[in-house]
Amino acid sequence: MKLSLTPLVAALALTSTLATPAFAAKDVIAAVASTFTTMDPYDANDTLSQAVVKSFYQGLFGFDKDMKIVPVLAESYQASKDGLSYTVKLKKGIKFHDGTDFNAEAVKVTFDRVTNPDNKLKRYNLYKNIARTEVVDASTVKFTLHEPFSPFINSLAHPSGVVISPAALQKHGKAIAQNPVGTGPFKFVEWKQTDYLKVARFDGYWKKGYPKVDTITFRPVADNNARSAMMQTGEAQFTFPVPYEQAEVLKGKPNLVLVAAPSIVHRYMSMNTLQKPFDNPKVREAINYAINKDALAKVAFSGYAIPAEGVLPKGVEYAVKLGPWPYDPAKARQLLKDAGYPNGFETQLWSAYNHTTGQKVIQFLQQQLAQVGIKASVQALEAGQRVEKVESAQDPATAPVRMYYVGWSSSTGEADWATRPLLASESFPPKMFNTAYYKNPAVDEDIAKALKTTDHAEKTKLYTDAQKRIWADAPWAFLVTEQLLSASARNLSGFYVMPDASFNFDEVDLK
Amino acid sequence: MASYLLKRLLGLLPTLLIVAVLVFLFVHMLPGDPARLAAGPDADPQTVELVRKDLGLDKPLAGQFVDFFGRMLHGDFGTSLRTKRAVSDEVGDRFMPTLLLTLASMAWSVVFGMGIGIASAVFRNQWPDRLGMTLAVSGISFPAFALGMLLMEIFSVQLGWLPTVGADSWRHYILPSITLGAAVAAVMARFTRASFVEVIQEDFVRTARAKGLDERVVILKHCLRNALIPVVTMMGLQFGFLLGGSIVVETVFNWPGLGRLLVDAVTMRDYPVIQALVLLFSFEFIVINLTVDILYGFINPTIRYR
Repeated sequence: MKLSLTPLVAALALTSTLATPAFAAKDVIAAVASTFTTMDPYDANDTLSQAVVKSFYQGLFGFDKDMKIVPVLAESYQASKDGLSYTVKLKKGIKFHDGTDFNAEAVKVTFDRVTNPDNKLKRYNLYKNIARTEVVDASTVKFTLHEPFSPFINSLAHPSGVVISPAALQKHGKAIAQNPVGTGPFKFVEWKQTDYLKVARFDGYWKKGYPKVDTITFRPVADNNARSAMMQTGEAQFTFPVPYEQAEVLKGKPNLVLVAAPSIVHRYMSMNTLQKPFDNPKVREAINYAINKDALAKVAFSGYAIPAEGVLPKGVEYAVKLGPWPYDPAKARQLLKDAGYPNGFETQLWSAYNHTTGQKVIQFLQQQLAQVGIKASVQALEAGQRVEKVESAQDPATAPVRMYYVGWSSSTGEADWATRPLLASESFPPKMFNTAYYKNPAVDEDIAKALKTTDHAEKTKLYTDAQKRIWADAPWAFLVTEQLLSASARNLSGFYVMPDASFNFDEVDLK
Repeated sequence: MASYLLKRLLGLLPTLLIVAVLVFLFVHMLPGDPARLAAGPDADPQTVELVRKDLGLDKPLAGQFVDFFGRMLHGDFGTSLRTKRAVSDEVGDRFMPTLLLTLASMAWSVVFGMGIGIASAVFRNQWPDRLGMTLAVSGISFPAFALGMLLMEIFSVQLGWLPTVGADSWRHYILPSITLGAAVAAVMARFTRASFVEVIQEDFVRTARAKGLDERVVILKHCLRNALIPVVTMMGLQFGFLLGGSIVVETVFNWPGLGRLLVDAVTMRDYPVIQALVLLFSFEFIVINLTVDILYGFINPTIRYR
């Protein structure tokens, strides 16, 4: 007996040595800029929290790394002629992390939860248009809307529209935010608020051969310099965002790759069209001519931005290329003269952000405007001041905002959410963010009509018309579209920053 | 002594009460609507109202005030508006890292600061004094964030000896505690020197030397003890400041401490967290002051408590 054991042990030892390389744990660490607020995407409003929950949650639809809609848990869908109901076929044989089945019932439970105002979820506004969610059969679900809403599939693809395990919802109730259970490639392991969020491979994942790494740890590191140091020491394999001033440092490192990805983050300066002198379209055009967008991109964004090519940035569905608006200070001065302001005027310029880039932008704009005789006093607003002074102004007629530098990215990747909250007359603050107080009935009509039709060609026509009108009216100074800077280790692949600054790591792998 | 302690502890209550009232009013006077901030950029007014109700911000100020006090008396500080976790958990998670970092920085800066201070006083206007005071002035003038970034660049990125961020092992404590303690050590050095120089010229020192005592005994026993009172006062104040969590150092080293929590809370208008933190900081200061007062008695037995 004694003798026979030895070769077995030796054989075991041999196999384990041989096997080690194949089982070497692949652990990815991603350093991100701020702490996560919650692990319940229906109660999150920050892009980052919604980006990391993608590791354990999936929706019926999703966006690929270029913001194209792809079916995820859904197989296909059918919209009714009147645009009021959507029937979605689901994939079969998918299980949640807790072992329960993913089916139409789970979809119903999830969406009934968010559409019930008693649950007080922050994403209520995105889904409140759903009147009913019905189970047709185990793998078919039907959504009925209160009113037609053509980008409904985009709303379902939004990172908050995920399916949560009904069993887990029942078990944890409100604490689901600390104990997420979904169908994603990774299982939730631990969330230490101050330190990290850790997820590990889910062996029962429905997509065979995925995920390719064992764990991902998301570490919030607020300081730019510290994130960059972690990349250099190899303590992290991926980081986003990389601040412009660090770009050059990281570019030179042989083991790192710096990526400038296109974005749908649009930067503009709105002008209060209810107030003199901005009620005069000539003044608004003059201001557009007065700003050198190329120089702005170089000065404030270190070249990691492109001059705005239209009302909507490329990458948003239905965006039309109309620009960039030419830089012509002589014409700007002429227009101001025609408008009755030969000596310019005094006004104020606020920035919605008080970070370095925001401050650089408004100082640059101030100088450019001074060239044509407009004296602007600048102020970078802190978040609370912004809410107080701009977003909560009750009466449009007395709103204190004049020129206002701000940005937007359409979280549904579609034209509706890039125009309606910002440029429709129904969206004056405090309701939404039409800080230009822009009102053009033709534009309002285009936007409203486009919501009701599901016909692609018709929508294209309506949104093209709206964008052309807005461009001509110039309620904004159209400034730049940002690029998103991230850095990753050379041996990391498949970790992308999407145009809306969310992450896509479906294909993540570590060599 | 016991009755003195009791009196001081009872005195704590009205102070804390006044702080709590002031903080509550102050926080609610900050511009910006927390419901709007919490609801995020995509929210419409209906959702903002939902969030407002969820956070209990729809009640009138007086009602919120009564709620806040009622719960506080039961030891419940409410839930964070941002993360919806109990405030006591939020603060509790971050208290220990800040406390440990503070203790580590205080320990080495007291040893170095007093060492340099004593050496400078004993060798007044000679080279140890010049060297020590040059160091001290540099320590006060060099901004903490720059020192932190410099140390990280040298020891983590270039040499690879120490980790960059986090608070997991003792090695993580080295760089942040040096960064945090540099200014304290400098202040301590200057205070010790000033107070020592005064004491060293006193008559009793001359007497001690005249009766033939060893110079070391004169310095470390007679002088040090008498020079200690202002130094201990300073030490207490510095300790209190550090316990508040250094915003700069905690940001640079991503330290999971109270300073960062406070910044996050103020940005998001997270009222309950701000209130709890300010109350905690006031409480810490009061306790430290009390401890310092009691320490006086041990240093100088002629001090009596009534």
